[in-house]
Amino acid sequence: MTTFIDYLLGGVSSGAIIALMALAIVLIWRSTRVVNFAQVGQAMFTTYVALTVRDATGNWIIALLAAIAAGAVLGLVVHWLVIRPVKRVDTSGAIIATFGVLISLQALAGMLWGGDTRGYAPPVSNDGIQLAGRIWPFSWYDVLVIGVTIALVIGLTLLFTRTNIGLAMRASAFNPEVARLSGVRVSRSLAYGWILAGMVGAIAGVLVAPTSQVSPNSFDILLVFAFTAAVIGGLDSLVGAVTFGIGTGLVISLVSGYSDSSNAPVVALVLLALNLLLKPDGVFGHHHSRAV
Amino acid sequence: MHKLMMLPGSRLVQHAAIALAIWVALTRLNQSVDPLLSYYLALVGMYATAMFGMTILVGLSGQVSLGNGALMAVGGYAFALTSLNWKTVPILGLPWNAVWSVVFAGIFGILVGLVIGGLAARLKGPYLAGLTLGVAVGVPAIANRFPGLFGGENGLMLTVPYPQGGYDASAVDTGPADTGADAIPTEAPDLPTEQAPIGGESLAPSDLLTVDDLGGAVSSAAPSVAPSDLITPDDLMGATGAPIASMPAEPSALASAGTDLGSTASGGVDAGSVDVSAVGGLILEQWQATLSITMACIMGFVALNLVRSRQGRTWQAVRDDSIAAAVSGINPSRSKVSAFVVSSLFAALAGAVFAQLLTYVGPGAYGLGLSLSLLVGIVLGGRASLLGAIIGAVLLVWLPVVVDRLSADRGWPEPVTNNAPNLLYGLLVVLVVLLAPGGITGTIRQSLAPVLRRRD
Amino acid sequence: MKYVLPLTHPLLQTVDVSVKLSGLQILDNVSIGVPEGVVTGLIGPNGAGKTTVFNVMSGFVKPDAGVVRYEGRRLEHIHPHHLTRMGISRTLQGVGLFPSLTALDNVMMGASSKARAGIVAQALAMPWVDRERSRLREQAIAVMTELGVEGEADRFPSELPYPIQKRVALARALVSDPKVLLMDEPAGGIGAADMKDLERLIRSWVPERTVLLVEHHMELVMEVCDLIWVLDAGKVIAAGTPEQVRNDPAVLAAYLGDEGA
Ligand SMILES: Nc1ncnc2c1ncn2[C@@H]1O[C@H](COP(=O)(O)OP(=O)(O)O)[C@@H](O)[C@H]1O
Ligand SMILES: [Mg+2]
Repeated sequence: MTTFIDYLLGGVSSGAIIALMALAIVLIWRSTRVVNFAQVGQAMFTTYVALTVRDATGNWIIALLAAIAAGAVLGLVVHWLVIRPVKRVDTSGAIIATFGVLISLQALAGMLWGGDTRGYAPPVSNDGIQLAGRIWPFSWYDVLVIGVTIALVIGLTLLFTRTNIGLAMRASAFNPEVARLSGVRVSRSLAYGWILAGMVGAIAGVLVAPTSQVSPNSFDILLVFAFTAAVIGGLDSLVGAVTFGIGTGLVISLVSGYSDSSNAPVVALVLLALNLLLKPDGVFGHHHSRAV
Repeated sequence: MHKLMMLPGSRLVQHAAIALAIWVALTRLNQSVDPLLSYYLALVGMYATAMFGMTILVGLSGQVSLGNGALMAVGGYAFALTSLNWKTVPILGLPWNAVWSVVFAGIFGILVGLVIGGLAARLKGPYLAGLTLGVAVGVPAIANRFPGLFGGENGLMLTVPYPQGGYDASAVDTGPADTGADAIPTEAPDLPTEQAPIGGESLAPSDLLTVDDLGGAVSSAAPSVAPSDLITPDDLMGATGAPIASMPAEPSALASAGTDLGSTASGGVDAGSVDVSAVGGLILEQWQATLSITMACIMGFVALNLVRSRQGRTWQAVRDDSIAAAVSGINPSRSKVSAFVVSSLFAALAGAVFAQLLTYVGPGAYGLGLSLSLLVGIVLGGRASLLGAIIGAVLLVWLPVVVDRLSADRGWPEPVTNNAPNLLYGLLVVLVVLLAPGGITGTIRQSLAPVLRRRD
Repeated sequence: MKYVLPLTHPLLQTVDVSVKLSGLQILDNVSIGVPEGVVTGLIGPNGAGKTTVFNVMSGFVKPDAGVVRYEGRRLEHIHPHHLTRMGISRTLQGVGLFPSLTALDNVMMGASSKARAGIVAQALAMPWVDRERSRLREQAIAVMTELGVEGEADRFPSELPYPIQKRVALARALVSDPKVLLMDEPAGGIGAADMKDLERLIRSWVPERTVLLVEHHMELVMEVCDLIWVLDAGKVIAAGTPEQVRNDPAVLAAYLGDEGA
């Protein structure tokens, strides 16, 4: 039983990070109906930015802010230069284009920062907390990760319920035509979605860096986990992304604990496949998508 | 392509003639170039075989899949495991040889394709891409899960049944490479040893598999376990640069056997005349290229038949408008599954060829990078065209070589050299999608369209 | 109030079909019969549910209640792609051609249910695949000739004027030699001359074929139909001969102010 709880505890903070990345994917899906497979590439890139800033300043927070700023810019750039022009041309195009962006960013990062895996020291200890006579699989860094995640979720909730920008974004996502008629600047709202997603992804990248290390493709697997969580959560739902992101983290931690960590991608795959099988009409009902 | 229809005879004759002509030309070319070029030729043939399947799946059927690298792994492992473990053909009891391994690679490819395709046919665009992305990451990880069977991270070593096509099971190195990279001969006399070696510590900096990864001659074991709760790609990709790099070319390890793929493929080479450097006029790379070219031409023939058949149009019809297709009497799901299964067969056969080019199968060789490479190639060449697949295959092999040469001339730093091909691929993919969705062939065809009317 | 005509043996019928989509009652107890060998019209204002009736008949939409009967048998678990094999062919509202196939290939696709060659035979280019292909091709050309579009065989839909596209789409529906033809707004967007052609064509099919026609052009409907059903807001509000329907006050009320009339 203790091992079970240990494994669960060990999965919370990685689940939180998966949740953040899933949030980023959902934010973009809601705004543009595109799954941004480049999301982890952007996060990887901004984490390198953070690494550089941190080497220069030695300050974790400044580095995080730099990553967030870079994430916002990168999100906007990808949206304006790639997604906006491509979307209407062909249906496969947007998907392929995001992979093109992913490949480019990974290569560019390799050029700028080299292919070696780099460490990213956590701002607080990443060792298990000693409490009640034993070491728990839970560190102050995990506390920080979870704290940041909770703060972000609260912030996003407030943004979407209390601010004009957030309401406009929701309106544009829900029904662009109606939103446009009621005076919402839809294309601007879509861009906000990409910026916001870029920022959330950047935070996720910096948070995951101490555990995953940083290299041009060290976040690839996070993409699979985050996509799994986002899809199970319904792709449209912020709450779903967070819930199933943490859930995915817990399941992976349990599976890794009881068997082997190399099972994790397979487990994610099975979760994804099961989910897609079990709701054939919910997420991808194709019969009603076009008036016959 | 347009004039073909004017030729006399049935499609069988026409298409067989095209395939044969290309085979003859490439075989000639293979015999007249130096070993390095032969090796590149072999890679092009391997990529082309896999990408013919991508033409059908992504181009005609409109299903963007990242799983075909993993399906190549299925073929590669099926080839390796059957040739390592089976001495006779089950049920039939015939003595084993590599032709059977290729057959079984194809069968496994079809079976796995049925499973994934059955799932995938129900999914639309991004869901399909995401699921197959999971497959691309997850399937190679399975190799790590069962190190006893699949050789784990280090994969399985194969001996090339060169020169006599000694695909005799007894002669194949039976032990999985559990001894690690040390056991692998590091001599690769005919390979570009001057190319930037990608060793264990400086992992392949890129996600795409480039010729560098294959040609680098230094091998060392990659660090395997990353100390984190999230699996890092190191775990999955770590092996990329290392064990693949070696090319055992020692004739002593090779077998002698009778008639089989080897002698058929090399056009009836005399199996008796064994020479260390050139057997039957073929050195190792030429023999590998012969194998790869032959597979590409046979499967190119099949692909050409399919693309220009009613089935090819059916795939396009479902892609264009699945409702109109259903009203026309087409079962859209079945059409999508069949495209998946066909492309799996192509991928698995290409994977079997790849195993013989690398003389190795391992999770690193068949990772996400390989899947992405296939997607890049097909998009650049032209999504819906077999010629595009060939052009894409050439680009995948040729571009890194050009970059290498440029880099050597200009003295670029290593990170730039290593990443320039992928940066180019990535940017080109985006540009092609934005400006010329038909890729190279599509754009050419479009500009020629007023001149040539497509007739069938 | 429900209208039931004294149809003894309709070839195709919906029996008390109700459909709810996204919480809206789209069809409400709709019973429509299509007698064999005549032209039946299905009219009603925009959004009345006519296309949805077609969707139920062709298996795209599963009714929440009620059944579809064809040749006296209950159609359960019908998939749209089974229809042509059963002798039912349908045209789609608009055009619905495959943009990346030539007109001829589009029409040949309509004969999919007649093609026998399997994927393996096609992959190996077996000689009988060629033979089957030329046979289907001849049939397609014949139908295209009947509709006067054989000259456009090698053109892509985007290169053709809209009325020609509609003819090609019609050819695709006809090439399977259907017993029943369901036509969704075949006259939409075409001119007066084409409309006359269409009228002649439709009349020339009966009594060999049975036609169910959804159409907004009243002159065409009144001219060509033997029997008309009127649908409004998901309910059958009238039925009868063109004469009866024309003078039905309920129909006039439904169409009043509706620009589709
Ligand atoms: N998938 C759907 N979900 C919700 N409402 C639908 C759907 N399909 C059609 N409708 C609605 O059903 C009504 C009838 O549609 P339709 O059968 O296309 O009408 P008609 O062909 O008579 O113009 C319309 O109000 C339309 O908006
Ligand atoms: Mg309608």
